[in-house]
Amino acid sequence: MKVEEIMTTKVESVLPTTSLRAVARKMSDLGVGALPVVDEGILIGIITDRDVSVYAIAMGHDPQSTEVQKVMTREVFTCNASENINQAAKIMEQHKIRRLTVMRGDQELAGFLSVDDIAPVSGDLAGAVLEAATPIH
Amino acid sequence: MKVSELMSSKVEFTTPASSAKVAARQMHDQHVGALPVMSDQQLVGIITDRDICCKVTATGRDAGWTKVEEIMVKDVVTCFDDLSDSDAANIMIDHRIRRLAVLNHENSMVGFLSVDDLARSSHELASSVLEASTPVH
Repeated sequence: MKVEEIMTTKVESVLPTTSLRAVARKMSDLGVGALPVVDEGILIGIITDRDVSVYAIAMGHDPQSTEVQKVMTREVFTCNASENINQAAKIMEQHKIRRLTVMRGDQELAGFLSVDDIAPVSGDLAGAVLEAATPIH
Repeated sequence: MKVSELMSSKVEFTTPASSAKVAARQMHDQHVGALPVMSDQQLVGIITDRDICCKVTATGRDAGWTKVEEIMVKDVVTCFDDLSDSDAANIMIDHRIRRLAVLNHENSMVGFLSVDDLARSSHELASSVLEASTPVH
């Protein structure tokens, strides 16, 4: 099975200059825990609900005046939309993560693939990803 | 396998009157995404990084002046530590959640059991919990 058959395709993104408060509101409204950060059409990072809350507050950043680019993760793990889900699950296991950004070709952002998307099609693959992931209890 | 063999038993907690800022720092330092809220040795709620994102950062409230009790989730779903992994998974599935507070028979909180912990005993059980729960992509 290919990644594009099960990935989440509704991809909303934010700008590197968006405020943490605006990002948090967007995540809350959309019911998502992560958003890609896109600058002039290029994916430059990922921002998560944990980054805008726990990390930002612990670092003393003001949510209204702090830009996403200050707290986002620049190292984005990706897979390709046409890749096999076994391969994608392996990438997650290797990096101990639960979510990949899905690309079509080199630059086009196609969606997200999370362990939740994998669970309905392969319990064993999803379980292996969870087992390998760095636990945040 | 029993819940007590799988749960994470290091239980750090916060109090209802603590600020969201202090709770966020604690989550950051302890690498956790959720803290039990204790009052007079009774479990009165759970606060997560997502609560801080959606109810503090997104709304523009001041984390230093927001009390944990204002944003915590009060309906805490619990299980006993001598329950089997599959019974615990069924509780998560019924409530569409991924984490349970674990109590001993003296009603003291002794740990958290998350879907990640379940994955160590059974990939299939963990995956069914993911499938049933409300996804946050």
